[in-house]
Amino acid sequence: MVNPFSRHDSTRAMIDRYRWWELICIYCGIAVFLFFMLAPFLEGFLVSLKPLEQLFSSPYTFWPENGSFAAYRTMWDSVPMFALYIFNSLLISAVSTVIVLVLVVPAAYAFARFKFKGMGLVLGGFLAVSMFSGAVLLIPLFRLMRTLGMLNTYWAMIIPGAAFLIPAAIWLLRTYMMRIPPELNEAAYMDGASQFYTFRRVILPIARPGIVVVAIMTFIGAYAQQFIFALTFNSKTEYMPLPVGLFAYFGKQEVIWNELMAASFVGIAPALVIIFFLQRYLVGGLTAGAVKQ
Amino acid sequence: MGQLSLKEIKKVFGTFEVVKGVSLDVQEGEFMVFVGPSGCGKSTLLRMIAGLEHTTSGDIVIDGKRVNDLPPVKRGIAMVFQSYALYPHMTVYENIAFPLRVEKAPEAEVQRKVDEAARILHLEERLQQKPGNLSGGQRQRVAIGRAIVRAPEIFLFDEPLSNLDAALRADMRIELTRLHKQLGATMIYVTHDQVEAMTMADRIVVLNGGYIAQVGPPLELYHKPQNTFVAGFIGNPRMNFLPVHCLGASDQGVQIDLNGQSLTIPVMVPASDRSALQGKTLTLGIRPEHMAVGSGDVVMTATPSVVEYLGQNTIGYARLPDRNENFCFVLNGTQVMPENTTINLSFAAADCHLFDADGMAFERRIDLAQMTVPHADLVEAP
Repeated sequence: MVNPFSRHDSTRAMIDRYRWWELICIYCGIAVFLFFMLAPFLEGFLVSLKPLEQLFSSPYTFWPENGSFAAYRTMWDSVPMFALYIFNSLLISAVSTVIVLVLVVPAAYAFARFKFKGMGLVLGGFLAVSMFSGAVLLIPLFRLMRTLGMLNTYWAMIIPGAAFLIPAAIWLLRTYMMRIPPELNEAAYMDGASQFYTFRRVILPIARPGIVVVAIMTFIGAYAQQFIFALTFNSKTEYMPLPVGLFAYFGKQEVIWNELMAASFVGIAPALVIIFFLQRYLVGGLTAGAVKQ
Repeated sequence: MGQLSLKEIKKVFGTFEVVKGVSLDVQEGEFMVFVGPSGCGKSTLLRMIAGLEHTTSGDIVIDGKRVNDLPPVKRGIAMVFQSYALYPHMTVYENIAFPLRVEKAPEAEVQRKVDEAARILHLEERLQQKPGNLSGGQRQRVAIGRAIVRAPEIFLFDEPLSNLDAALRADMRIELTRLHKQLGATMIYVTHDQVEAMTMADRIVVLNGGYIAQVGPPLELYHKPQNTFVAGFIGNPRMNFLPVHCLGASDQGVQIDLNGQSLTIPVMVPASDRSALQGKTLTLGIRPEHMAVGSGDVVMTATPSVVEYLGQNTIGYARLPDRNENFCFVLNGTQVMPENTTINLSFAAADCHLFDADGMAFERRIDLAQMTVPHADLVEAP
């Protein structure tokens, strides 16, 4: 039977061929899944287009009437420091990511390549640490930050953020680096290269896709978790990151929902751009041709 | 320069002794092949010579200097890996240039040496490509190129052809032999493929369970194996072994009894050992290619259960009564042999090998120099 949903049926592998009703089921499943994932975003976006009065109208209308992008203009006036909040968020995430990468890349390499006493214990410890969320440790961390005099600085949000991201990043990158054939190290050693030279000229370039994945994961992680640290360890308005900054739209009388939603989308945009840019370096199959597998 | 000596080399991994005392001299410019079954310690031995593994005990001496504690570069050694181990993110040019980059050679010298290596290995067209775009044979040549540019005194090859298909392997074998003649460097080559060993080696080291079973030129190993292991390992299909009863020994050789037929195998036995041999059970070795149909010094019957027709020759496998392993014989390619039909086979006493109860060979009375066609006959006008 000719499959109306697939034009390339004859060129597909047998294992990839489906009946027409199987395809309908698959696409229905995808649609349901996507709806659950994207509905909040859709609703948020529609809210940002509506005038504020319409949000409280009864009955509630899902589709905006005479919708406009006005909220995207007025949001800058309601909260004048909003641009700074976006900058703070990016700064905190970027610095966290740099710190994590600087520490994790050599550590992951060591865990991937060398055998040493207590390695399993340390790796297990990392896993245990990443089970705690930052929230559990907020009070001891607060005392630590106060003792170190780091409360109300950028560092109060960067350092705990980076610390909680390091264990998972090591695990992730270690797995990637273990796939780099050890013969490459041996070959470089035979050619007279030092450990560090081999690391820099051979391992790092090959591990680049893995490092990019870790960078993206860390950046997103830092972006997402900075809220809790910012709320607890920082009370200075000028250091506030985006998630805390959004509270500025919660007025004394009412919440400016449409501007809040607009601000959320504007705030996410720079991070999306950065991730989109990093993703271009995610080229797979970089080890092709290194060794015969 | 490029003379290598191993003195009582041992290697222990945990409690497992892999290399159990190997002593060996490799001459300058020699093509030495280490061969043996899996797990015999040949790769470990090579990695110790390379400097990738520590020796548990013993000395590695290159050109009169003990090098046990030197890194590979200081030993003047380069190695080609079984898996090629190319750097996938670099072009062929940069892969070959890597050792020169490490020693920070001037650009002009890098250019000259890489071009030279590329010319020898026919890689000129490929220099700007990445290893991922090359075929298996080309990748292996790049790996060899990386070894050549440093102009080492000793090349090590760890089963370099085992990942190539049969036709390419034959080509690369010839290229490597040519390369050895061209460079004149000492080469040590590890393989489990006895065809590679026989065709390429000046001398072969047969390793068995961490010991050297025998060292010698290929034909010596074939014609005068010192023990049953080498006799069985060199030669394909492997040698047939039959238990025989010793009737006595004399200047002519050892007289044995095989299934009621008595014959004298021309081997050397010291006069003092002769009387002790009488009545002992010995092992007779006969290569499949030395068997023929019809009559000869010894005649026996066999019923082949499997027959392989290779065109060049016909191979039959039979089970002899109360023997477990296959009895194999290679006949002319035009020989038709019905399966499960009993046939008469024969062989000459002069082709037989004889081993004592410990598996050690009695030396055969043959002169290897006389077994080859004299050089004069080759160049004579027809």
